[in-house]
Amino acid sequence: MTGVGGGEIPALEAPALEGAPNGGAGRGFLLRPAAPLLVLLPSLVLLPLLGILPFLVHGGGLDLLGQFALAAFTPSLDPLVLRSALTGLATTVGMALLGWMVSLVLGLLLGLASSRTLWRSCWGRLWPAELIRRLLAIPRSIHELLWGLLLLQLVGLQPVVAVVAIAIPFGALVARVVADQLDGLDTGRLEALRLAGAPAPAALLTALGPPLLPGLLSYGGYRLECALRSATLLGVFGLGGLGTDLKLTLQSLEFRELWTGLWLLLAVMLALETGLGRLRRRWLMPRRLGLGRAGGGRAGVGVRAREMVLAVAALLPLTIGVGWALGVDPRALLAWQPLQGVGGSGWIDGERLLALPWPALIGGTLALTLLAAVLAVGLPPLQLLLSAPWLPARLLVRLSWALARLWPPPLTALLLLLVLQPGLITAALALGLHNAGILGRLLAEGLADGGPALEQSLTSAGVGPRLALLYGRYPAIARPYLAYGAYRADVLLRETVVVGLVGATGLGSQLLESLSSFAWDQLLALVAVYALLTLLGEELSDRVRRRLLQRA
Amino acid sequence: MAAAPLLELRQVSVAGRGTPRLEGVNLAIQPGERVALLGPSGAGKSTLLAVANGLLPPCCGQVLWRGEPPARARRARRRQQAAIGTLWQDLRLIEELSVQQNLNAGRLAAWGWPRALLNLLLPLETAANAAVLARVDLAPELLGQPVAALSGGQRQRVAIARLLRQDPTLLLADEPLASLDPRLAASLLALLLAEAEPPRALLLSLHRPDLLAGFDRVIGLRAGRLVFDAAASDLQGPAGVARLQELYRGEDRETDGQADGQTDGQTDGAGDGAGDGEPGEPARPAGAGPFWAAPDR
Repeated sequence: MTGVGGGEIPALEAPALEGAPNGGAGRGFLLRPAAPLLVLLPSLVLLPLLGILPFLVHGGGLDLLGQFALAAFTPSLDPLVLRSALTGLATTVGMALLGWMVSLVLGLLLGLASSRTLWRSCWGRLWPAELIRRLLAIPRSIHELLWGLLLLQLVGLQPVVAVVAIAIPFGALVARVVADQLDGLDTGRLEALRLAGAPAPAALLTALGPPLLPGLLSYGGYRLECALRSATLLGVFGLGGLGTDLKLTLQSLEFRELWTGLWLLLAVMLALETGLGRLRRRWLMPRRLGLGRAGGGRAGVGVRAREMVLAVAALLPLTIGVGWALGVDPRALLAWQPLQGVGGSGWIDGERLLALPWPALIGGTLALTLLAAVLAVGLPPLQLLLSAPWLPARLLVRLSWALARLWPPPLTALLLLLVLQPGLITAALALGLHNAGILGRLLAEGLADGGPALEQSLTSAGVGPRLALLYGRYPAIARPYLAYGAYRADVLLRETVVVGLVGATGLGSQLLESLSSFAWDQLLALVAVYALLTLLGEELSDRVRRRLLQRA
Repeated sequence: MAAAPLLELRQVSVAGRGTPRLEGVNLAIQPGERVALLGPSGAGKSTLLAVANGLLPPCCGQVLWRGEPPARARRARRRQQAAIGTLWQDLRLIEELSVQQNLNAGRLAAWGWPRALLNLLLPLETAANAAVLARVDLAPELLGQPVAALSGGQRQRVAIARLLRQDPTLLLADEPLASLDPRLAASLLALLLAEAEPPRALLLSLHRPDLLAGFDRVIGLRAGRLVFDAAASDLQGPAGVARLQELYRGEDRETDGQADGQTDGQTDGAGDGAGDGEPGEPARPAGAGPFWAAPDR
């Protein structure tokens, strides 16, 4: 069992079912929602939410929102607009690719460095692994946006900033997954090779490489999708690329130009996701919800291994080319600008720190996380269920998910502000909708992996499509899905900072405010509290997940 | 004038990769008939059953239910389908739910949303469920148990009990006896035959001609074609044995190479599966093998 913070690969085994839990028939009289119902419970949050929303609506921007929606059908095809959107898109994709590559290399090295198996078998001690593990928690707990904004202050607007901002937290996430996977493997083979006199590196590569590679490549693929989303998001905060264009066109209400960029981004994202999905199926790589069946891969073992190595080898020259084209210069990282006021007498002002309304900030952040998480987990199963009988409705739901996950949450927040009051609920909606797009795709993927047998048996007995879905497909997916939801909640906690723009949403908005007023001491304290919260949240969500997956 | 048969297939064919999975099958099942469907692995038995329960639309030919083609209107179509119940080889119980909830799943076609949701929260219709459990010789105490905790034989019975809750007019069963030991197989068959009282009809595919007692009619399927369609009494005596041996001709050569049940299951899945290369079906040992190799003969 790998309890992984960035853990999108832990192959979630079906829970072991041993014997009947005590109680037999008596159990049936408790109010105990069964698996398929569990999936639907989070969506109950919609009821109070729909009750509150009318009070938050201000009619002001309703026509603007309508214009925005209509512009989807008439994106601007002006060559100038197209060219600028394509340039922005290329920059965003380039930043994502570079940041991703660096994070993979970093993550692999750091993951090896924090692997207990490795330290034990090579140097016979454990503590360095534990130490590195703990240290890596810090970069991991800080969102890439914060890294980006901090670096922006330090070295100015350089292409390298976005790349490094993505690479640091992603690298730490990958490291944790690599280490967990390594340590989760059976070490028998490794020991056998060592006993036979193989040198440590060779033994490691032989014993651990083949079982590790598919899982890591699969996870790496998901990280690339995340990197693309992150690069877009960083652009919204001024780090260049398509995100910047999106924000500017939104603020100047040039909706038709905005949709030009959006559709292009959608095409790239869907192409990426489809391509990676194909590769995963071809190479029999584990999926996030772990319902995949063994067998059915189209390529033989030798072919697969060769293709994997070739794909990895092809990435290196590609990365160098992209880096050169974007003008990424790592040396820029060394030229620090002095931060205004830092180091001067009294730059740390205890009173100013204590003056912050800490309980409200923390409470707001937690409430925002919870609400957004419940929304994100609850919406997709309900949407799937409601749209089940009609193909056009199903396609529409899929499209809305795709748009939601590529559309950065701060921009959703800006759109929502056209019709809603600023505040926690608006921020939670923005964040929740974005993550519902991510979870929705995952749910659909997991459901497809579950196979049609049960659903078909119900359909063929005259059960309608919705109930066939509820009884035929939801039971198996329920626990893995909710477990993934718990992981997502912990990601969301980190992500609350990105909707800080909406204001009054806890640590995130305070952080952006402190940043813009150059209150460095506040900023440091806020980042520290954020990191601490994230670590606690990570621990909590790990526990929830383990419980969900182990209870039969 | 005789009433229309419950189910009628007219010149039904199903395309497959390379060879057709069914070719020009004509078949009519009257109310109250107990029909056995025999044939070697890959003969198209599962395909025929999938066509019969509406899961697999045939490429050519007609499937009539009580003399009428499949209804176009959604509701009427579902009513037709609810009248046909299938006992799947892999049972298709919902592992995550209790026995009670699984039994109630047999009523889903008749239930609306509220009850379907409530079933996931509360024990519903306990009396009716206990009654069907009694009919399959299971204790009512099992109702609250998760299905995953049951033994193989109990699971078979629960699946049959769910069918009884559905209360179909035509009962289809896809090799329900394949992976069972002889005693269990005999008792389950007796159970199914007993439930197939008129006006209910039964169409059951099986692999073992030694279990034909109790059927009214036997259909032989080989390579997607109907080889014979005879009264069960016609298959007794040396002439009948010869017909059966003809049906399974070449079967032992085929199965010689298949050392374990795994391979057997896979051939079944590939050639005989309900959907097109349907992935949901776990590979199950077909177990019985050719009938003359069966231990109890």
